[in-house]
Amino acid sequence: MPGPASQDAVLTLSGVRKEFPGVLALDGVDFELRGGEVHALVGENGAGKSTLMKIISGAYRMTRGEMRMEGREVRVRNPRHAQDLGISIIYQELNLVPHLTVEENIFLGREPRTPLGLIDAGQIRSKCERLLVDLGVGISPAVRVSTLGVAEMQMVEIAKALAFEARVLIMDEPTSALTDRETETLFATITDIKSRGVSIIYISHRLEEIFRIADRATVMRDGRIVATHDVEGLSTGQLIREMVDREVNDHYPKQPAPIGSVVLGVENLRAGTRVRGVSLELRAGEVVGLAGLMGSGRTELARAIFGADPIDSGRVTIHGVDLTPSSPNAAIRAGMGFVTEDRKGEGLVLQFSVCQNVTLPAIRSMSRAGVIDRAAERAAANRAIADLHIKTPTAEAQVSNLSGGNQQKVVLSKWLGIGARVLIFDEPTRGIDVGAKIEIYTLMNKLAGEGVAILMISSDLPEVLGMSDRILVMNEGRIAGELSRAEATQEKVLALAVDPVAGAA
Amino acid sequence: MRRLNFSRFPFAALLAICAACALTGGLGACNREDPVEPGATFGDGASPAAHRPTIAFIMKTLNNPFFVDMEVGAREAAERLGVELIVQAPERELDIERQMQMVENMIQRKVDAIVITPNGSAEIIPAIVKANAAGIPVLIVDTRIDAEAAREAGAMTVTFIGSDNHEGGRIAGEFLAGRLGDRGEVAVLEGIPGHETADARLGGFKEGIAEASAVRIVASQPANWERDQGFNVAQNMLQAHPDLNAIFAANDMMALGAIEAISAAGKSRQILVVGFDATDDAREAIGAGRMLGSVAQYPAAMGSVGVEKALEAVNGAAIDEEIGTKVEMIHEANLAD
Amino acid sequence: MSTSRREWLLLHGRELGGIGGLILLCFGLWILTPYFLTVSNLVNVAQQTAINAIIAVGMTYVIITAGIDLSVGSILAFSGVILARALNADAPLPVALFAAIGAGAALGVVNGMLITYGRLPPFISTLGMMSVARGLALIVSDGRPISGFSESLRFLANGDLIGIPMPVVITGIVMIAGQFCLKRTWFGRYVYAIGGNEEAARLSGINITFVKVAVYGLAGALSALAAIVLTARLNSAQPTAGAMYELDAIAATVIGGSSLMGGEGSVVGTLIGALIMGVLRNGLNLLDVSSFVQQTVIGSAIIAAVLIDMAIKRRRV
Repeated sequence: MPGPASQDAVLTLSGVRKEFPGVLALDGVDFELRGGEVHALVGENGAGKSTLMKIISGAYRMTRGEMRMEGREVRVRNPRHAQDLGISIIYQELNLVPHLTVEENIFLGREPRTPLGLIDAGQIRSKCERLLVDLGVGISPAVRVSTLGVAEMQMVEIAKALAFEARVLIMDEPTSALTDRETETLFATITDIKSRGVSIIYISHRLEEIFRIADRATVMRDGRIVATHDVEGLSTGQLIREMVDREVNDHYPKQPAPIGSVVLGVENLRAGTRVRGVSLELRAGEVVGLAGLMGSGRTELARAIFGADPIDSGRVTIHGVDLTPSSPNAAIRAGMGFVTEDRKGEGLVLQFSVCQNVTLPAIRSMSRAGVIDRAAERAAANRAIADLHIKTPTAEAQVSNLSGGNQQKVVLSKWLGIGARVLIFDEPTRGIDVGAKIEIYTLMNKLAGEGVAILMISSDLPEVLGMSDRILVMNEGRIAGELSRAEATQEKVLALAVDPVAGAA
Repeated sequence: MRRLNFSRFPFAALLAICAACALTGGLGACNREDPVEPGATFGDGASPAAHRPTIAFIMKTLNNPFFVDMEVGAREAAERLGVELIVQAPERELDIERQMQMVENMIQRKVDAIVITPNGSAEIIPAIVKANAAGIPVLIVDTRIDAEAAREAGAMTVTFIGSDNHEGGRIAGEFLAGRLGDRGEVAVLEGIPGHETADARLGGFKEGIAEASAVRIVASQPANWERDQGFNVAQNMLQAHPDLNAIFAANDMMALGAIEAISAAGKSRQILVVGFDATDDAREAIGAGRMLGSVAQYPAAMGSVGVEKALEAVNGAAIDEEIGTKVEMIHEANLAD
Repeated sequence: MSTSRREWLLLHGRELGGIGGLILLCFGLWILTPYFLTVSNLVNVAQQTAINAIIAVGMTYVIITAGIDLSVGSILAFSGVILARALNADAPLPVALFAAIGAGAALGVVNGMLITYGRLPPFISTLGMMSVARGLALIVSDGRPISGFSESLRFLANGDLIGIPMPVVITGIVMIAGQFCLKRTWFGRYVYAIGGNEEAARLSGINITFVKVAVYGLAGALSALAAIVLTARLNSAQPTAGAMYELDAIAATVIGGSSLMGGEGSVVGTLIGALIMGVLRNGLNLLDVSSFVQQTVIGSAIIAAVLIDMAIKRRRV
């Protein structure tokens, strides 16, 4: 919905350079944001988008360059200063205090005071109500943020930004955790606040969203701006080409592998409230997609199979042998690997080097009399870096310094070193760029070709359809149906996910 | 990426150390009235005339008024005699290992004599042996060392200077029995178990009340010399023995704690309390009628005698094996004296 | 600078800095007092640091797993009286030493089990153990110090090996073994992984329960080793020994660069932290600084070390 944006720049950056010790993150970036426009910022992970946004919002300081707000040069000292200047940022991992109420969060640190210096609760309530009504959100100001869903929290963040009278709002991957309906609501809200003259910088990997919502799009690569386009008349192919600097013909390079005998068997598994009697089989060389809505029990099923959460009843077998795991340790010994959904929370030890993360599950087998064989460790890490094209200066670099896509590759590589026969991928490509995605798909093909059985949980339907030999759809803790690669369509999968009875009919 | 991360510790340590050096440097300088030239103390050839004797006084702790008084007496004597005095004490009275470290450090400091109020009667002996080996005379003040252990280890001390704790306990017992009319229930707050001082006071007290056969000790428990523990233990005793008539505490800190407990139980002035040491706080309590009496020791005298005798020992004079400082019962009637 | 040399600096920079700081401190004391920089005083400082350093190695492991152990001082007292009881019952020295270390390790293992199976926060379980172990020490000893041991035990404090005092030899062995185990074995790697991200470690197949129980058991065993040195040194085991030693150990660990958030720290750093504390105390004694001021200085050193640490961390973002 490209609308008429006023042509005068609200925010201009020129010649911005940012160095981290040993790394040049931004190199001479010029960027201009016009009044009342939605400006998409795209690029692979590690292209410099986040760094640029952190400079604008005051989390980092630029090494060199200039920033002007409505023509006046500004030096942003810290995030609070940025807010005072009218710049707010909404991070992917939202930044609210869970045990405070909506209104407390919105006015946190800037509560209106009565003449006596006490917090003016009445004024807070009325201002907050007005803000939420204006946004068309039906949230009560008095409820605790912890009781809200992700989409509602995002609305609270937007309300908070508006309460600070933000003129520039930065949104980092705002739809990554939203359902389609919630995304629609968010887009409506964006259109609304744009009409009030607020300029929005919108970061997303979902290119179709950019075509829906943005007026202009800027492509970044390797710390530089590649191009800025009007979205009207722009093609997806051109954007991707500019992002990855290469032609991408096929998003999902699925290669069929010979399917062998059953490797993983799950029989009537029950665990907690979210896994309520699941049976499935996985064969060697097979990629099985596991689709379903959020909360349908996919991640919980994976965790139960892997022994990460306790099982109430049921069996897990590997090659027909009962190996119902009591712990991840037991599952790993039985030949399973689990690429978790939450990279930073569950996948990586951020203080560790790339090498130490890669070898973590296998380090004991790389030890003699308890002492780590450093040569073997280094060799394994270098092999993983080469095989997965992990972009890192050395194997010794701290993993927290890598971009999201490369971190994800590190998580994956942990399971390659132990010779896993069964791999469970939970949202393997969420939040990572096109190039890294394709590398991960290629790796899946290779593993399947070697006879590994793969269970892939994904919310990205084209990915599920594109990469799976078979698709299982979960609903309310049960398998609602199964579709072969040939018969599966987005509509059929969705129908099963939403309403198993209608879907089966 | 962030490659050069070796910055973390060096600055931290550096500043901490600079801060520490700055502080100690300044203080060190102003504590030493007469900075000793390195050569003067290093060389063995320094003549006794040019060499001002240095005496180290290692106390139990300095957060007890008793030892603060002792330090005052010691400093007064040091000034009078022209002696350089180093006073050191562990943070906690229980910390015998730290006291031993201080003795070791004073040996390194090449002091001429060491005066110690031991935190442990047996535990201090290895430290004394080390001082002996370094040829430094050791004087013991206030708390006796374990004579048998000393003999076994071959630890030599010049003298013991202190009040007769057994006698003090005895006069406290007699005094309390008299005030009770030779009948009633008494509870005892002991010091740290195994301390010679604590044992002597308790033994003396038992002897003091022995003649009054109707005075019975119904409870006797350690409160480790401390005020808050005195409070807690006394509170428990009051619960267990509702008819309690009196409490004897082996020092005033515990006695004052017991007085608080009595007052909290609403039994002020119904239960007689006798302490030991006659500290300022105790004297005030006696004056206000909240405490019956306390056995006075004269810590300042111990401090000054300690320094005097140490100097005599340095000069090679013969010194008595034991030097008593007086004990006296302080009560409302003689408080003003 | 070659890559390997740069990596080496990167890995050991913190320790190098600590050593630099320690040297600077020693230099300052050398200027201020003639008694500090003598061989006999440096040996003296090394001996005085031994007990804290041995305990602090266990504390380093615990703190790297993002835990804390408040019971080490009490476990020291308990192990000490067990040692004394065993010796007084005419047990041969090796048996008595084994009993003491076993007693310390056992209480540490109980800590670990309370934390893993019982799911108690380390602060709570070790706070409880601090009191339990102290009580056990008083019970076993009837509340009295136990004194007077054979020369063979006393050798562990007063003897020497080719001129190096035994406490220093023991500390050296513990340090080298502790650092090697932490940096070169899978067990050490697991310790760091658990402190860095416990859930990621668990999902990588690490047996969290085993590692934590072992770490707290190790902390208990090292407290017992410190108890042996202390008992030999004082020729007496006191049930009241070791009060507040846990705080000295935590301080040495923190000055040495460990983060209470877990995942960071090293035994070498801790040794330097313990030496900085030991040198400060010794130097302040030699300079005749009042014991009240000493506490203030040491406290300030701890705070300053951590403050600067944090400031540098922030600036590195």
